[in-house]
Amino acid sequence: MKIVQSLILILSINLVFIDKSFADFEAGKSKSQVCAACHGADGNSQVAMYPKLAGQYKDYLVNSLNAYKSGSRKNAIMSGFATGLSDQDIEDLSEYFSRQDGLKILPMK
Amino acid sequence: MKSINKLLVVPILILSASFVTADEIHPGKDKSETCTGCHAIPGYNNVYPTYKVPKIAGQHSDYIVAALKAYQNKDRDHKTMHANAIALSDQDINDIAKYFESLK
Repeated sequence: MKIVQSLILILSINLVFIDKSFADFEAGKSKSQVCAACHGADGNSQVAMYPKLAGQYKDYLVNSLNAYKSGSRKNAIMSGFATGLSDQDIEDLSEYFSRQDGLKILPMK
Repeated sequence: MKSINKLLVVPILILSASFVTADEIHPGKDKSETCTGCHAIPGYNNVYPTYKVPKIAGQHSDYIVAALKAYQNKDRDHKTMHANAIALSDQDINDIAKYFESLK
């Protein structure tokens, strides 16, 4: 019985570590300085050709950065930046921009 | 009585003209009805890979135009967005993009 209890304890400790959200907002903020030149400091880009990122869903941003990184989404500027990003960088940046005020979902008719 | 009529007609004409203008600013509203099926639902998921359908209200129109054209010519690979974008004329794309941008 003690073995079962210990196993459950070990498993739950592991789950806590695995489940821990590893995105770091503050790290994302400091890493976002490169992005700010085009996308604005808070992701509300002032330049029409560069998309606003502020308030965008985090998992959409993660998916986009990974797509630029893998080359499945083609953009000369963004593939250059995205190839240099680690999984951690992508998590942090997406966390930071998704928590800014900006984009909204479309209104219903 | 005639002069009163004239006094009424002029402001009515001006008012109706301004309504027409308001409609002309966003012809993209009607054209974007299909988009609301996914982009107006909070937290709606793309099926595979799984991520949330992006928020596009308030986005720059230049970017929306570029995105839709990239879906049309498959520079951006997404089956549903390709199918929707391929049905749009350049005029449709511009109208829809201007409407989204206006939603700030």
